[in-house]
Amino acid sequence: MGSDLKKNPQKKLFETEESRREFLGKFTSSVFGGLAAAGVLGEVKSAHAEAEGSNLNEAVPYRKFNLPEEKSFEDFTMRMMRDLQRALEKPIEKRKWVMVIDLRKCIGCDSCTISCVAENKLPPGVVYRPVIQEERGKYPNVGRKFLPRPCMQCDKPPCVPVCPVEATWKRPDGIVVIDYDQCIGCRYCITACPYSARTFDFGSLYVDGAADNTTEMVGKKKAEKYEIEPSFEYSKEWKRKDDDSPIGNARKCHFCIPRIERGMLPECVVTCLGRATFFGDANDPGSLVAELKSKPNAVRLKEFVGTQPSVYYLL
Amino acid sequence: MDSRAKTFDKLFWFVTAILFVIGIIGVSNRLINGHRATNYGSYIPWGLWIASYIWLIGLSAGAFLMSTMTYVFKVKSVQSVGKLALLLAIATLAGAMLSVWFDLGHMWRAWRLILHTHLTSMMGWMAVLYGSYIVLLVIELFIAIKMDLVNSTDTKKTLKTVLTILGSIGIPLAFAFHGGVGGVFAAISSRAYWHSPLTPVYFLAGAFLSGGALFAFIAAIYAPNKQSPEFIEMMSFIGKVVLGFLVLDTIFEISEIYVGLFTATPDETPVLMAILSGHYWYAFWIVHVLFGIVIPAYLLIAKPRSVTAIAVAGLLIAITFLAVRLNIVIPGLILPEINGLSHAFVNSRLTYHYIPSAMEWEVELFIVSIAMAIFMIGKAVLPILSNGNLPKEEAVKIKKQMAEA
Repeated sequence: MGSDLKKNPQKKLFETEESRREFLGKFTSSVFGGLAAAGVLGEVKSAHAEAEGSNLNEAVPYRKFNLPEEKSFEDFTMRMMRDLQRALEKPIEKRKWVMVIDLRKCIGCDSCTISCVAENKLPPGVVYRPVIQEERGKYPNVGRKFLPRPCMQCDKPPCVPVCPVEATWKRPDGIVVIDYDQCIGCRYCITACPYSARTFDFGSLYVDGAADNTTEMVGKKKAEKYEIEPSFEYSKEWKRKDDDSPIGNARKCHFCIPRIERGMLPECVVTCLGRATFFGDANDPGSLVAELKSKPNAVRLKEFVGTQPSVYYLL
Repeated sequence: MDSRAKTFDKLFWFVTAILFVIGIIGVSNRLINGHRATNYGSYIPWGLWIASYIWLIGLSAGAFLMSTMTYVFKVKSVQSVGKLALLLAIATLAGAMLSVWFDLGHMWRAWRLILHTHLTSMMGWMAVLYGSYIVLLVIELFIAIKMDLVNSTDTKKTLKTVLTILGSIGIPLAFAFHGGVGGVFAAISSRAYWHSPLTPVYFLAGAFLSGGALFAFIAAIYAPNKQSPEFIEMMSFIGKVVLGFLVLDTIFEISEIYVGLFTATPDETPVLMAILSGHYWYAFWIVHVLFGIVIPAYLLIAKPRSVTAIAVAGLLIAITFLAVRLNIVIPGLILPEINGLSHAFVNSRLTYHYIPSAMEWEVELFIVSIAMAIFMIGKAVLPILSNGNLPKEEAVKIKKQMAEA
């Protein structure tokens, strides 16, 4: 779960213990939430009530959080946290979220894929960030390359104009969002995406077809409990029941909006074992991503299709 | 009704009932379990139901254009079957709408297509155009029926003018909505096989052909006065029209395949090769080429005055056209956008193989049974064939009155 990376900076992240607890209650993953804090469940509910009327175009109100004092030499995760804080102090339309993935550092461990599944409670068949692997050459000259593929958050997203009901659009900060409550599930956007970044939620569970056991701690029902924990995408509570949204919707990576707007880097960034994924505000010339994306070895995927992705790869 | 029509009536009701009973199993599954029992996934997100939708909407557009021969172009030989064509257009349209409705992830949000239409989307335009088309069809059929029932020559004349106007509006509308269905696919630039300006035109040719062919079959059974020489005349005229469309559609198809094969880029050639020689080669060569082109063409050319030959050719073309539509929808999606995607995260929904599930076929049968039922009920309840049943003297009298007026 990468909870170490996630938890440690947070100890000083929030001004009060209470806000930290509230925060954890709202946004830790189901497994973590289930194991850690039954006591914060009440707060989850209030967070839901707060989020009910939320507008997908508006960022969560910025709440100042404390970062440790800046050192002369710092790990780049700290630098990205500071970049994030500076970006959050600006209004949403002044931000431009960008991801940079250093393919030389990617080790193909799939941690980002799995942590994303855990963070967003993704059901079988729904994946936001697969890592595509390719083996090249013949023995003795064999090489493997890995390509993590999040949503490109294109500046010219082909998935947006094709939506027949305006259920998906580009936010002022560059993130392409899907309004699950409006999406009718026609899957036109899925066909339109040149990166196959959108997947359809068929309503399946990993425990489907598993055997049940009523007396022990194991079995379908016990395991299912964790799977049907709500997800908090777009800072709303999405329960997996009665085939309600997000079941029957197109789904995709959203750069972990609920995390970044509360001062945390996206889940795939903090869980990256090779430390190959970077995230930040491209509008801020001092940010790490602004620096990296201007390198001559930075490329974007399928540049020729004219989508102008917000994800850069370092070769 | 003559004996042939009565026999076919019984047969159609029997088929409708069987399809409905099998279909209801799939529909209950669809309503209870949602999309879980389907075989499409996220990499091939559209399947049988979308193919069925463009197949049925094509039949509707084609049948409607046949009705304009009566009401707009005033072709003498097809005067008695205008309403039949309109009813056929309504029934197949209902089937098409049902197909796409079952395909939606949230069926009960379909109203958003009308009230929250996004006009940058071809699919959004579909909602507008189908809405108008449904209204137009119903009004046109209503007036066509009324025209045959009223006695006053003046009213008849006015109604006839109204019909001509409605039909004339309908022609560009039918071109727009069925060309637009092609546009839904053609607008997707990331799919080389679909992304061609020929796609909407090819869709239109297919609609004329399949709809005209189905109409030929239906007219052969239900057109009035089968003993009259006018009937043979009418059928041979429809046969010629269908043959013309068959030639046109085949030319477009050859053009599509030819250009794609010789492009020599990895985007389109493999798709065409998959159609021509892939797993489902028989859908193209046997179902489409043999039963949808070669046999019907032989029947239409060799026996241009045989009603049976024209009807059989029509039925073959209309039914096998589902294979053409499947061969447009599915192969367009079989090439991975990024090589290796299906191995990156393994799941049955994340593959590039698709064959419709039993549930999908059952729902498809249900859709066809509903379209057939609408047609059969409409024909039984409404005076669709009434003018043809008028005694000859009366028909002559009406003709005279019209001429005088």
